[in-house]
Amino acid sequence: MKTVWTVMRKELLDFFRDRRTMMLGLLMAPLLFPALILGMGAMAESRARTQLESTLEVPVSGAERAPNLVAYLETRNIEVIDPPEDPHTAIREQRYDVILDIPVDYPESWRQSRPALVEVLYDSSRQDSRIPVRRVESALRAYSRQVSAMRLVVRGVDPALGQAVVSGRRDLSTPEARRGMALSFLPYLLILSAFLGGAYLVIDITAGERERQSLEPLLATPSAREAIMSGKIAAACVFGMLSLLLILLSFKLSFQFAGSGPFRGVDVSFAAMAKLLAILAPMVLIGTTLLTLISASVKSVKEAQSYMSVLMLLPIIPTVILLISPVKNQLWMFAVPFLAQNQAILMVLRAETVEPLEWLVYLGAGLGLGLLLWLIAARLYHREKLAISG
Amino acid sequence: MIQVENLHKTFKARTGLVRAVDGVSFEAPDGRITGLLGPNGAGKTTTLRMLYTLMRPEQGRVLVDGHDVVSDAGRVRRSLGVLPDARGVYKRLTARENIAYFGRLHGLDEATVEQRTAQLVEALQMEDFIDRQTEGFSQGQRTKTAIARALVHDPSNVILDEPTNGLDVMTTRGLREFLKTLKAQGRCVILSSHIMQEVGLLCDHIVIIAKGKVMAQGSAEQLRRTSGEDNLEDAFVRLIGSDEGLAA
Repeated sequence: MKTVWTVMRKELLDFFRDRRTMMLGLLMAPLLFPALILGMGAMAESRARTQLESTLEVPVSGAERAPNLVAYLETRNIEVIDPPEDPHTAIREQRYDVILDIPVDYPESWRQSRPALVEVLYDSSRQDSRIPVRRVESALRAYSRQVSAMRLVVRGVDPALGQAVVSGRRDLSTPEARRGMALSFLPYLLILSAFLGGAYLVIDITAGERERQSLEPLLATPSAREAIMSGKIAAACVFGMLSLLLILLSFKLSFQFAGSGPFRGVDVSFAAMAKLLAILAPMVLIGTTLLTLISASVKSVKEAQSYMSVLMLLPIIPTVILLISPVKNQLWMFAVPFLAQNQAILMVLRAETVEPLEWLVYLGAGLGLGLLLWLIAARLYHREKLAISG
Repeated sequence: MIQVENLHKTFKARTGLVRAVDGVSFEAPDGRITGLLGPNGAGKTTTLRMLYTLMRPEQGRVLVDGHDVVSDAGRVRRSLGVLPDARGVYKRLTARENIAYFGRLHGLDEATVEQRTAQLVEALQMEDFIDRQTEGFSQGQRTKTAIARALVHDPSNVILDEPTNGLDVMTTRGLREFLKTLKAQGRCVILSSHIMQEVGLLCDHIVIIAKGKVMAQGSAEQLRRTSGEDNLEDAFVRLIGSDEGLAA
């Protein structure tokens, strides 16, 4: 135990002496993440607002065949402009978001009170055109309803007869939960910081120390190798938790200052922050032991670092799976690494309670996995090759 | 006291198995300096690594003060002071912190660490740089720091891999005197070198190693006699059968 403490103290001292690396490691994420999140949020919101509220210019080919419809569109803040030569190419070349095409037989159908076709040309693969297309379609629907109601009234029929069922919607999500939706990427950032936040430190104190050949005298001391390794893991965990604490504090401050916007009212109380820290602690342990294991098995720092790009993808997997097939929270999920963290963080941010049983499964599975990785890493620390380099 | 009996170690290389150490035996008694002399790549470092428990012999055994290095590694490590080939000094710690770190890992209390450090600083003349971070140290300062670190727990057996490698004349002379005091204190000292003058001046017993095998052993005088050569360098060349890796 004394060895663990001695090694941990030495590694932290060594690391904190390297001022510049320390500053980058500790402060970069807390400064960058809030800027990223708030910036993105603000951008998305202002974009949506301008698209919804500004006058929408829509080219209409054959506008002269439907003067009534054109006049109606103008009342809905949609300005009809002259169509391009070839509407199909114009859409494909992304010159316009949406183009209306009024076919030749429109006036004929209109006069005979048959459904008259109006074509909406757009490119569904373009995110950007989504709001304009929705605006045009909703205007067309409203126009259609209005005209058909008038036709029925003229024929002495109650327009309400045309509607057998009216559906009404009532949204029962809590305000916190609705805001939580905007935060679906936040768990990824937090899990990633916890998982790989201390990566350079971990790689440096095992693979790096081996490369600098200072592991040889260290392992020739009578201290148990498990204790030396645990000291190094402990140092990396302390660093990881410290950096997480700073990241959470920066989130707290920036969400509070952000005031309005999609992040207003996210639960950033100190209690929530403490819960997040408790949720991320097993992740720090798993990341650190996994990296120690990798560092102890590879030949060089470079080789250890090349694992990083794969490791960075791991936390995305549950997020993507949930995106493709969303499932309700179930107890087993709290035993699956990454997925568990993802669910638990979302629950805290949505101000839902995590049940004691869920905590138990969560911490049991997380710490259990950490322990397993620790055991494997300890075995690797006993290999002859580890101490010898060059 | 270190006894080495018939050590073997092979490594896998791309070209096949390499016999790095192939049947090395010798005895290093207390109060004596024993030198392993051999060209580069002769198997000296691998032999020493088996002595200080970092490598497991494939065959043969090593006894340190009567304890086996494989079955009783913990005990052996406590009675060994090791200066590895690569010094491995932590560059962001001061020399004093480097020494204290190893003292604590050997289970010494703070007072003992302090007292031993003071003794070693005086014996190795480290006063000028003891409280400086070791980044930017000269080769001699680094070696001294590593030696002090290896001796902080006052071990009865000292193993030094190429202790004078890369040192200037004055530092080498100082270090030689220091090694003689270790011998006078009754410790068992083993060092390796590829420089025969070095070994000839310092060692009571010389073990000549080439290609993983012991070619000859004995005092400098005995080696000269068996080879029939007047000077040690010629004796060395004759005994290893070639002049590869020779440095004067």
